Amino acid sequence: MSKLLSPAGSEVLFMGNEAIARGALEAGVNVATGYPGTPSSEVIESLGAVANARNLYVEWSTNEKVALEVAAAASFAGLRAMCVMKQNGVNVASDFLLHLTGSGTRGGIVLVTCEDPGALSSVNEGESRYFARMLEIPLLEPANFQEAKDLTRWAFELSEKIKNIVVLRSVTRMSHASGNVICGKLPTKSRRAYFVYDGSIMDQERGPVIGTPVVAKHYLQQEKLKKAAALFEKSPFNNYRGPKKPELLLITSSACFLYSQEAISMLGLQKRVGLLKLGCTWPLPSKLLKKHLSSTRKILIVEEVLPFLEENVKVLAAGILKEIGIKTFYGKMDETLPSAGELNSDLVAAALSKILKVKYQSLPASYQQEIKKIIPLVPLREQTFCPGCPHRASFWSIHNAIQLDGREGIVCGDIGCYALAALFPSCGFNTVRTLHSMGSGTGIASGFAKLGAFGFAKPVIAVCGDSTFYHAAIPALINAQHNRADITFIVLDNSGTAMTGFQPHPGLTISAAGDAIPAVEIAGICEAIGAKVAISDPFDLDKTCKILNAFMEETGSLKVLILQQECALSPEKKDKKQFLMKVDEELCRGDNCGCNRLCTRIFRCPALVWDRAKKKAVIDDVICAGCGVCYSICPQKAIVRTEAIK
Amino acid sequence: MVLLRKKQSSQELLKKGVLEAGLCTGCGACVSLCPYQVIYHDRTVQLHNCDLEDGKCRAFCPRTDVDLAHLRDCLFDAPDITPEIGSVKGYYFSRAADYQLREISQHGGTVTALMELALTEGLIDSAIVSSRNQDILQNGVRIKNKTDLRKNTGSKFTVSPTVATFNKIVAEDAKKIGVVATPCQALALAKMKLKPQQDDANNIDKLKLVIGLYCGWALSAEKFSKLLIQNKIDLTAITCMDIPAGKNALELHTGNGIKSIPFADVQNCVREACGYCFDSTAEFADISVGFARFGNNWEEMRGWNQLIIRSERGQQLVDLAVAKGVLEIREAPAESLKELKNAAAEKKKSALKNIIRKSGSAKNLLYLDSKDPMVKRYLGENE
Repeated sequence: MSKLLSPAGSEVLFMGNEAIARGALEAGVNVATGYPGTPSSEVIESLGAVANARNLYVEWSTNEKVALEVAAAASFAGLRAMCVMKQNGVNVASDFLLHLTGSGTRGGIVLVTCEDPGALSSVNEGESRYFARMLEIPLLEPANFQEAKDLTRWAFELSEKIKNIVVLRSVTRMSHASGNVICGKLPTKSRRAYFVYDGSIMDQERGPVIGTPVVAKHYLQQEKLKKAAALFEKSPFNNYRGPKKPELLLITSSACFLYSQEAISMLGLQKRVGLLKLGCTWPLPSKLLKKHLSSTRKILIVEEVLPFLEENVKVLAAGILKEIGIKTFYGKMDETLPSAGELNSDLVAAALSKILKVKYQSLPASYQQEIKKIIPLVPLREQTFCPGCPHRASFWSIHNAIQLDGREGIVCGDIGCYALAALFPSCGFNTVRTLHSMGSGTGIASGFAKLGAFGFAKPVIAVCGDSTFYHAAIPALINAQHNRADITFIVLDNSGTAMTGFQPHPGLTISAAGDAIPAVEIAGICEAIGAKVAISDPFDLDKTCKILNAFMEETGSLKVLILQQECALSPEKKDKKQFLMKVDEELCRGDNCGCNRLCTRIFRCPALVWDRAKKKAVIDDVICAGCGVCYSICPQKAIVRTEAIK
Repeated sequence: MVLLRKKQSSQELLKKGVLEAGLCTGCGACVSLCPYQVIYHDRTVQLHNCDLEDGKCRAFCPRTDVDLAHLRDCLFDAPDITPEIGSVKGYYFSRAADYQLREISQHGGTVTALMELALTEGLIDSAIVSSRNQDILQNGVRIKNKTDLRKNTGSKFTVSPTVATFNKIVAEDAKKIGVVATPCQALALAKMKLKPQQDDANNIDKLKLVIGLYCGWALSAEKFSKLLIQNKIDLTAITCMDIPAGKNALELHTGNGIKSIPFADVQNCVREACGYCFDSTAEFADISVGFARFGNNWEEMRGWNQLIIRSERGQQLVDLAVAKGVLEIREAPAESLKELKNAAAEKKKSALKNIIRKSGSAKNLLYLDSKDPMVKRYLGENE
């Protein structure tokens, strides 16, 4: 049995994302949707694993907007629904979210956003809490693992009470850390879908689900928010620990609560600092805040990433200034805390020691000096593609084709493992020149291709992963075709949403719940819009390069090259070598070869190592994935491959 | 003060001094030595950066600095050297004895006849000649027998990376190699004979014969194919190209008959590098061969070649060819040699003029050395 289905009362070690999933199960969620993205993916994955056992409908949607639309339909039919994404996914979903908040919802619906302060596995550290304020919907932020479960369960109830969607926000250190959680009861009954639409337009329960008349519905939405605020005043998820009249009031939420708690205890400030933890961060529980703001003159606000709480508390304080008196606020806006990146206990402790003039040093002074001594000894290592990664082979051919073409072609990058080619240029052989949001590489390429009249004459290439193709590249691709943008569009198809852990996408024959379904073929879509399509195996360097050169030379239209090769870490491939690789020491001429170490200096698969003693290349058999590509690049044919026995 | 600076890599020097400077002849001397330098279409491309400082690529390039006087001393007998056309041991008109060969050749079939003989006599085991691809691009191909040699006769007008093929097969199983080379290619092969590199340097001893071709210019494949497309000529349908005497046009034989392009248009397609070339007769070959027109004697000499014997090795081959009856030779009139020398001198003068225009100073002759007696001689006339 999945631990997600543990009986009521049992204490289970849950990852934050599992706790969120368990909370949804306890709330009786019927439909769960999402698009993979670190640190959010495990919520849908864990629900997918119990979908059949709990009679849930779970899907990986093509993108976050569609995921929210699918979840909303369940809510309209009276079911409970959850939609899960990472921070920038909320931007994708936001257009529909704006309209959904206007129409209101029926069955409880929760948007879970797992965010990534410090961009540990993102190319942004976007904040989606502002959407709650901008779109006037409630925002909840769990501060430990028990709360991750309990707040999720309560979020469904709140949503049904106010008839609107509720946002639950987690961060990497909540989602990916683990802690003990006491389980509650799982419901035994499942709801039936029942969609009613023939009542009056203003009837939230029985009328058509629509945001008009806009102004009247807008007032209605604001009433809902007030109702949520009233509930927040009494919520047990907002609590205070500390003296009645603290010297300093520390207001915080989410994982920052854990940092703050630890910092206070590290400095022994329990009697001087009061800790107000808010689980409900929008709308603010104003009475609760008024009470605590009145208790002191100094207030520190600890949060990630932007000063969202800080701004809102300050606005609130300004309105009740006469009652609470003049305050001094510390936080991100006065630079007591850094305005970007992740926080930690040390940073909070440093802030506390500065405000309260307490001596604090997290590390001995000699530590920094020791570090300075050690740094030069640490070998420089940059991130690169894994051994056997198809992307290394793809970019090798892209690079070579661009060099051969001679017109300094540019590549517009996109989001996936292949973004490494932009972040660490040498692993993409210095080809990728732009990197933005999912699918935007194709749109940008389409734009570059139309700059010919202004003197831009470089060939334009866009790269895009298979999952990204379905997510957001299709409209841009159709745009390129419609507007006759001369681009070479390359799909780096590694058969799965590899970077986030091989979640299925529409190109695969499996659903989120593990059921067999037909695939939606990328080639078919591209051919249908009129593009010229070729398919190649990126491990076939010669063929791939030739197609690319032919495509770049053929001007005036959209060309699509689909490079198909499974990710080296995919469950199907992992630990199964296609080839056994070996460097023939007789043939490898080492530094006497004119090759100038092409294999270890330029190609740089981590499994290719330069043996300093022998002055020859060797294969690190432990990490070599047996893809066989290096066999094709050695000019001496000294890298030998033999088919592995299966 | 001497500034300590990391030496520039050979590849960088080659890039700045030759490729980007428009000096690259596309001969292929820097190709097939490493994975970095390749030929694509008729352009030399650097695929990845290489930081080696004493690369063969730069050492072999016919457009990097070279001591031509030293090279002449090493390869030829001093009394044979002429300022205009290099070493001359003998100067004749020649043609293949086999009329069938003459039929399929551009002029007299001399080159093919000599290479055939070298192969059959075992003087060489492989001949490298240029071969046209499906369009106007060329490649150096390795030929091991007579029949294949005859498939590749005729002039092509674009460059072939012939020396790249030499670099490739010399590292493989070929033991005795003969090359049909343009002047720049012959110079590259001659530079290899100086053995600038320790490693593999002796490979060049496998080069047993260089038959040079007279050359005035070569076309850029990119520009030329654009011109052909503009003139609605199907590149794949071209069977033969010629610039017939007296006509100011390039004639292309295609499946749909002969198409003619005004020579002025064709001239616009000449590679920039050809303007800086100091050698029109392949001075560093063993034997040089060209067409035999001179004065107003167009018709009489149709079907004959001019032949310059430059080295001892060249002399022996021609003697053998005559003795075996595969080559017919006749004395060339003195005015023909004079005319050839005048034309070659003009080419040298115009090359120097173009070089100075490019470098901006008579003191900087790019790949040539102003102290070289032959250069000095024509430089004086330019000043």
